[in-house]
Amino acid sequence: MAGGDADPDGELVERVGRGDPAAVRALIARKLPRMVALAVRMLGDGAEAEDVAQEVFLRAWRQAPKWRPGAARFDTWMHRVAMNLCYDRLRRRREQPTAEPPEQVDPGAPPDRGLMALDVGRRVEAAVRALPDRQREAIVLCHYQELGNIEAADVLGISVEALESLLARGRRTLRSRLGDLR
Amino acid sequence: MNAERFRGLAEAWGGDLDRWPAAERDQARAFLAVSPDAAQALAEARGLDAALDAWRSPEASAALRERIIASAPAPRRRSPWVWASPWLRGAGLAAACAAGVMAGAALSGRAAPDPAGEALIAVATVFQGAPSPGVGLEPEES
Repeated sequence: MAGGDADPDGELVERVGRGDPAAVRALIARKLPRMVALAVRMLGDGAEAEDVAQEVFLRAWRQAPKWRPGAARFDTWMHRVAMNLCYDRLRRRREQPTAEPPEQVDPGAPPDRGLMALDVGRRVEAAVRALPDRQREAIVLCHYQELGNIEAADVLGISVEALESLLARGRRTLRSRLGDLR
Repeated sequence: MNAERFRGLAEAWGGDLDRWPAAERDQARAFLAVSPDAAQALAEARGLDAALDAWRSPEASAALRERIIASAPAPRRRSPWVWASPWLRGAGLAAACAAGVMAGAALSGRAAPDPAGEALIAVATVFQGAPSPGVGLEPEES
């Protein structure tokens, strides 16, 4: 088992695989906020993020009856599916440059101590979005999704050492861009 | 664990030791207890963590939640047979076997030879075995 421990979702997924309605609702309550948050931070578009989250669950319903614990955690599997769906959408955006890109905030906005929390959030969002792709993905998975090093490295298909390097470089850049907020 | 490694971990994983790689957490806690530099590195990392937390993601809409619930497969219907206890299942199997034996016996009784029918078959066999008119009465060629 990646992560070293038993899958905390294992029993729930087994019940979902049997079609237990209470388990279905419990899995949605546990994972939907995480899937939406991941997709929003990857795509910057709420409607697209909801489509991704819905597709992740459609695949989860198909996967649950045949899920065999041991290889990976179900949460890690869901993250990998969500990330791949996000990659597909980002690739399509690049191939269709006429599509209207989601609204972005200028990462170079001057510091303002009187900014409301929402504005601070938008500045942070802009700073994270301005990072190179892999650094941004590492920070989204580890800081925001709170995946462990083994799970995040698994989702990104890299070693834990490479993941740590991405995180350190990304956070260093963010520290310099958001230094006035700390 | 040394100061350089501690700082490297803080720069990568932030100021919450619970988010650090599990394999190094205990060593990091022990080092933190004796190193002021480690405490400083952790405090700096916590500052960035707090800034990052200002970016909040929207909550999933109720409509999305309902769509996903509706997309879930229907509960699998299990027949009462599956729910029955092993004892009941055994009794059911025995009853089915007994019914099968009784039905077999009844059917074999119906298929018993009918004496009248047997007589007809015997007569037919005699006539089929008899030579047909003309056959065997032809004069043999000399």
